[in-house]
Amino acid sequence: MRKSLTIGMTAASLGALIALTGLAPAQAADPVAKLSVFHGVPGLTVDVYVNDKLTLDNFKPGDLAGPLDLPAGTYKVAITASDAADASKPAIGPVDLPLVAGMDYTAVAHLDAAGKPTATLFTNDIGKLEAGQGRLTVRHVAAAPAVDVLANGAAAITNLVNPKESVLNLPAGTISAAVAATGTTAPVIGPADVNVAEGTNTIVYAWGSLADKNLALGVQTIAGLHSNPGSIPAGEAGLVATNKPADTTGLWLGAFAAMLLALGAAAVVGLRRSAAAARR
Amino acid sequence: MRATVGAIGMLAVALVLLSGCSGAQVPPASAPTAVTTPAPASVLPPPRPAPEVTVPTVSATLSANQAPAPLPPVRIRVETLGIDMAVEAVGQTAEKVMELPKNPAVAAWYRFGPSPASPAGATVIAAHVDSLVYDIGPFARLASATAGTRVVLTLSDGSERGYSVTGLQSILKPDVPWDSVFDRSGASRLTLVTCGGEFDYEAKRYLSNVIVSADPLP
Repeated sequence: MRKSLTIGMTAASLGALIALTGLAPAQAADPVAKLSVFHGVPGLTVDVYVNDKLTLDNFKPGDLAGPLDLPAGTYKVAITASDAADASKPAIGPVDLPLVAGMDYTAVAHLDAAGKPTATLFTNDIGKLEAGQGRLTVRHVAAAPAVDVLANGAAAITNLVNPKESVLNLPAGTISAAVAATGTTAPVIGPADVNVAEGTNTIVYAWGSLADKNLALGVQTIAGLHSNPGSIPAGEAGLVATNKPADTTGLWLGAFAAMLLALGAAAVVGLRRSAAAARR
Repeated sequence: MRATVGAIGMLAVALVLLSGCSGAQVPPASAPTAVTTPAPASVLPPPRPAPEVTVPTVSATLSANQAPAPLPPVRIRVETLGIDMAVEAVGQTAEKVMELPKNPAVAAWYRFGPSPASPAGATVIAAHVDSLVYDIGPFARLASATAGTRVVLTLSDGSERGYSVTGLQSILKPDVPWDSVFDRSGASRLTLVTCGGEFDYEAKRYLSNVIVSADPLP
């Protein structure tokens, strides 16, 4: 956060210079916060009110909304039954969500470990990734005890509890992901193929209820975290150069210049030698 | 020095003219109308709340919400320029240099960026223009591409995609907008890159990149 603030201030102080030279700033600080909303409460279609204004109408379980660009600030979010006339009788909340400019968030309506509806605000990691890397975020928002996440059959994340998350940077590629009770390898969800795409934060939600046998995976992706190559050196011989010596005159002139240089060098060496000889 | 003073003077005049114009164009009557318009809207409450903004909403199921697997190009042909090359999938070095095969007769696709299967962004294919060992490569002839030149890619699944050249640029290397070249957003398109322009015989490098843009054929 401090970093993006610094970038913002630098951009502001350089503003005049940039305007004069007509250069676009390489990376301006984003003045807004991004907010997505994931609905992970089974069997309950809802309306979502932000600051008492209806924002999501008939929002269904397993759906993902957004991202919304919002000015930084604190937002009051209330989740009601889908037939409510206003936000006065929320089923979840109201909760206050403090959103900071330049950050990316997902508000999740979900069950707590005991099966009671609640809401959690997660901050999404949008830090740049090395070329070839993808980011996998796993969030436990299900009515279930602690779990392990298995990637290609091996435990990649252990003892994850509701409503916590775990974040890994991995070589990009598709993994076979499964969720099991912690310390075990028998899947309660999956296995399912998850594409941990390059330059992307792939966020997987384990949601639903173990007791009601409706555990499921939801996925949200945030792309654009990649690092591009900064050059393509694609030639080394000058065989198609536009400044290639075009005719023999040039070659002869070049040869003549080289000869002059050689003569000059020889003369200097000669002088030094004679000077050295004189000193002796 | 005199030129600078002159430029500042002209700028000042332009600013005065601009502010003068905008001041004159605002009719005094517009202020009261702006105040009165929102009043009736706030008096009438909507019978049933409706969202003020439409928020894009998707199903978060695994199958519906993942990036598609890439479809690597394995061969590139430009018949009118006599180009027919194998394409390898490459990454970049720790110094952020795109890794090209030494042989200029083999092209390279930047495998971490878009592929022809991607719904958006530029598929980037590059090749050396020449080599001290292998002589001049086929991409040297990209400099002769014109609008409408047809490019055909063969993909790893055996299918083919046709493209039509829309533009050719030679840009001095320090000025190449690499984030635009490797853009992952915007229309799905093909970008071919090699070297060209003048050669620095001391550093053994070309001073420019030759960049060809092409759009997919329907």
